[in-house]
Amino acid sequence: MSDAPKGLVFNIQKFSLHDGPGIRTIVFLKGCPLACMWCSNPEGRSTTPELILSCDRCIGTDECDRCITVCLEGAISKGEDGTVTIDRARCDGCGDCTYVCPSEALETSGDWVEVEEVLRIVEEDDAFYARSGGGLTLSGGEPLAQGSFVRALLGAARNRGIDTAVETSGLCNWKTMKDVAPLTDRMFFDIKCLDPEKHERVTGVSNAKILDNFRKLRAELPEVDVVVRTPVIPGVNDSERDIRAIAEFVTDAGGASSYELLPYHRFGEPKYEKLGKHYRLSHLESPTDARMAELRQVAALA
Amino acid sequence: MLDASESPAVAPISRVRTPHETRIERGEPVGLAAEVGQSKRARIQRMLEGFRDQPIRLNVDRARLLTESMKRTEGQPMVLRWAKALAHILQNLPIHIEDDELLVGSAGPPGRYAVVYCELVGPGRFYTHPHELVPSKPGEPILITEEDVATLKGDILPYWTDNAYHTATMNALPEETRRLMERIFVVTPTASGRSMLAWAHDYGKVLERGIGSIRNEVAERLAALDPFDTAAWVEKRPFLEAVEIVCDAMVAFAHRYAELARSMAGSEPREERRRELLEIAEICERVPEHPARTFHEAVQSQWFVQTVSRLEQAVGGVIGNGRIDQYLYPYYRRDLDEGRITEDEALTLLESIWIGMARSTDLYAKPGMPSLTDGFAHWEATTIGGLAPDGQDASNELSYLILKSKREFPLNYPDLAARIHSRTPNAFLHAVAETIKDGSGFPKLFCDDEIIPLLVAKGGSMEEANDYCVTGCSETKMLNREGIATGCAWINLGAILEMTLRDGRMGCYGNGLVGLSTGDPRTFKTFEELWDAFTRQIENVVQHTFIQQHVSDTLKSRHIASPMFSMLHDLCMESCKDIHSGPIEDALYLGFFDVMGFGTVIDSLAAIRSLVFEEEKLSMDELLEALDADFAGHEAVRQMCLHAPKYGNNDPAVDQIGHDIEACFSGLAHRHTSAFGGELDLRYVSVTSHIPLGAVVGATPDGRKAREPLSESISPSQGRDVKGPTATLMSISSTKCAQYKERAARLLNMKLSPASLAGEEGTRKLMALIRTACDMKMWHIQFNIINRDTLLRAQQDPEKYRNLLVRVAGYSAYFVDLTPALQNEIIRRTEHEF
Repeated sequence: MSDAPKGLVFNIQKFSLHDGPGIRTIVFLKGCPLACMWCSNPEGRSTTPELILSCDRCIGTDECDRCITVCLEGAISKGEDGTVTIDRARCDGCGDCTYVCPSEALETSGDWVEVEEVLRIVEEDDAFYARSGGGLTLSGGEPLAQGSFVRALLGAARNRGIDTAVETSGLCNWKTMKDVAPLTDRMFFDIKCLDPEKHERVTGVSNAKILDNFRKLRAELPEVDVVVRTPVIPGVNDSERDIRAIAEFVTDAGGASSYELLPYHRFGEPKYEKLGKHYRLSHLESPTDARMAELRQVAALA
Repeated sequence: MLDASESPAVAPISRVRTPHETRIERGEPVGLAAEVGQSKRARIQRMLEGFRDQPIRLNVDRARLLTESMKRTEGQPMVLRWAKALAHILQNLPIHIEDDELLVGSAGPPGRYAVVYCELVGPGRFYTHPHELVPSKPGEPILITEEDVATLKGDILPYWTDNAYHTATMNALPEETRRLMERIFVVTPTASGRSMLAWAHDYGKVLERGIGSIRNEVAERLAALDPFDTAAWVEKRPFLEAVEIVCDAMVAFAHRYAELARSMAGSEPREERRRELLEIAEICERVPEHPARTFHEAVQSQWFVQTVSRLEQAVGGVIGNGRIDQYLYPYYRRDLDEGRITEDEALTLLESIWIGMARSTDLYAKPGMPSLTDGFAHWEATTIGGLAPDGQDASNELSYLILKSKREFPLNYPDLAARIHSRTPNAFLHAVAETIKDGSGFPKLFCDDEIIPLLVAKGGSMEEANDYCVTGCSETKMLNREGIATGCAWINLGAILEMTLRDGRMGCYGNGLVGLSTGDPRTFKTFEELWDAFTRQIENVVQHTFIQQHVSDTLKSRHIASPMFSMLHDLCMESCKDIHSGPIEDALYLGFFDVMGFGTVIDSLAAIRSLVFEEEKLSMDELLEALDADFAGHEAVRQMCLHAPKYGNNDPAVDQIGHDIEACFSGLAHRHTSAFGGELDLRYVSVTSHIPLGAVVGATPDGRKAREPLSESISPSQGRDVKGPTATLMSISSTKCAQYKERAARLLNMKLSPASLAGEEGTRKLMALIRTACDMKMWHIQFNIINRDTLLRAQQDPEKYRNLLVRVAGYSAYFVDLTPALQNEIIRRTEHEF
């Protein structure tokens, strides 16, 4: 066994065009202290590997019952619709079912990987970074929840000339942020809303620590390139008052390279079912382009 | 891991439409949108109105006149016979000038036409059932008159029964080679489908010198022939005489148009049109005989050469426009400087060429042919950009003007190819990227950094290689240096795999041996044994492919000659030899063979290796049983096959199999010398043949069901590359064996969603993607920027989406004209979007 730090990664996505300059590779790290209602990466929340079941891929128990047979815990059984169902309380995460499943209906989300392995995959696209000014973006989950791994990864990336970016919810201990921020070329810092009660209601946690970290980041490490982002969620933070408050807070705290508003989308919804979880916003529509344009004007005013 | 590609295509993404999509959805005519009205290009609009509703008329006259002349010249040298036949055609072919035309000359009747060529395929179904002639686009109206049928049957058929090239080549093949070729779609020879593969002329020579100067040169050389140099007298004199005949005939042909224009002017009531007709008459009296002086003369001279080319012979992919932004540029620049032309007038003339090309359509006389090139636009490849002969960038104002025309002209012509190199100016690349983003699939991109060093390795000089032009779908030509390439054979790699798994047999051909008996795979203990059987099957097929090609090459000059093509080629003129009668001294002969189903077979071998030999999840017997049953009752096996590692995801172990397959073919190509001392190169350009070729192949271990299409060109299997375009490009790059020079095009179709390339930021990213593809030395890459939902809607409402262009292979075609199988195939190609 190697002593090198390992990170829990649940996806490495290439040819990403919207999370930093150029053509990028996003490494998604598993584990997040927030529980945002609109989260589009619910598999990024838990800090352990998870079993995923895609029922649309399952060919049905009439054709195949390999997973039921192989599970020693008896966690998998025939479901009502002809496919299988998981008793997650019984599942011990051994992964045997994912090995025997012929159609990849059962998969494990989350692998423990070393820095070198991540960089090997990231560097497969270095020809594209060279031409586009792209590189590596860390996302999640909350990447800063895996502080020592992220530090090692960003340090190694810098030594190898890879442009990096970190997307953070801002919720981590200050020391981790202080250590990591100078190692990356830019940070995307999420500020969801300024009202502490509302923040707690929709994300499960208070925003105090997040706002505090942001102030410290601007004050103690002003040279770090910080882009502030707000996911605009209809009914939650899509009023001009919400956005103006954030913009004013950012300005007061020392400003940012830019302030970006990202429209809510429902792309994450199908993942909830695969994890055996419930998606609470399934009725919610994305904000219109017109509304986003109005809010962006407010964001630009500050 | 959860996969981003599983996210449903929700509305917000497809909010981003390409201009091409938007115009079609609004029901606007595509192109020419704003400028119709005062613009002179209202003329183009008028010429195009109702264009696609015109039925295709046959030009039977060309075959009739050729046959008439050939009957009279039996026994004479072929080049002389062909010159006389061409002269006879040019003298007697009915000619016309349509209203609004500024550019005159047509190889067929008014409107849309198809030339019937009689000398290649010969009789058989073509002549005995002329009512069954099929247009290249399924369902297009075609007008065959009783008179046409009578002419075909009475005057043409009887003569060619014993004289057609196709019959001769098939009869001359060794027994075992012919047997293999007769198994339809295992190896598909195309040698007799066209007289040669795609070609382009040195138009610049005609514009600068004029045909008259070639005529004078030949006259001088004839006069200088030593009467006692008997060999020259017997061998060279017929060639020189043939050129003389053709030069005179071409000039006379242009003069017929001059005369017609003048007589039409005499009775033309509209003053403006009368003046135009008189100008046409003057131009046709001037060119192609004399050097062109103006842009209009240059374009007319070029067009006469093209028109006569179509009448002389049936070239595969028709005749290319060459480096049009190079040889036309001096005339455009001078006219601009001297105030003789506006940008709009230049565009009108260029678009007149595009209309001229669009008027001609292809016919298929051979059963099965349409499906090989579905929705087939012919490829008058039109090259812009790239390096100049001296290695400097060659792009100029005309390159940009042609891109502008491409964005505005509503038909799928010209087949525009942009050459890209490491120092292509950003501005040019930007214009190219914006044109691609319009969504009609143009231009296709050729990478100088890959092609030029290869051409040098093959024997071209730096100057020749730098000056290559694109021809056909994805070929290149060094004009004045390369000899002709005979139609290439298409090798069905899927069939080779099936023969490997069935001990030399194929399900659709019953119990008889098609390939070699290489053993029952159930007895193979290792993947290496299977690989060994597979490569023996490949060697067998390639051996017979080479034999077939050799016979086709050597027999051709007994059946065909092309004095007009020859007189425009420096080396033919030097040696006084017809272009078909190889070997011509100093000429480079660069032919091909195409391998179809590369992705399907890589995936299949990867699945066998991992499922049967590595993970041992399946026995060979279980796998073969499932394949025999086309997976019926074996869904779990099929799922394992579908989820085995796949090519196109930058998986080194899988890509290595592709590399090994390429090494096997390249090694055989490397050892081989073609009939005229050249090479036959490995190429992956399937056009649409992967559909009919797939129809003879049973279920494959990649999870593909029997008779489904094979993978297309160099692309991964449809929808199996799920890690994004960078991984696709990396995989393709990893399978290349660059140590061999016996390589040609590897064509990649990439589908991107408009949303991923929205705005200026998207354009820049597309530019970066193209630059990287060029760094990776991709021979040929082309993009479909289109929303999947647009394609689905077009299937439901074809009338509304009649103008929807999609890139098929080396060309774009109207989506609704494609067969349902190909439509589905295009929809299934992975759309990269994040």
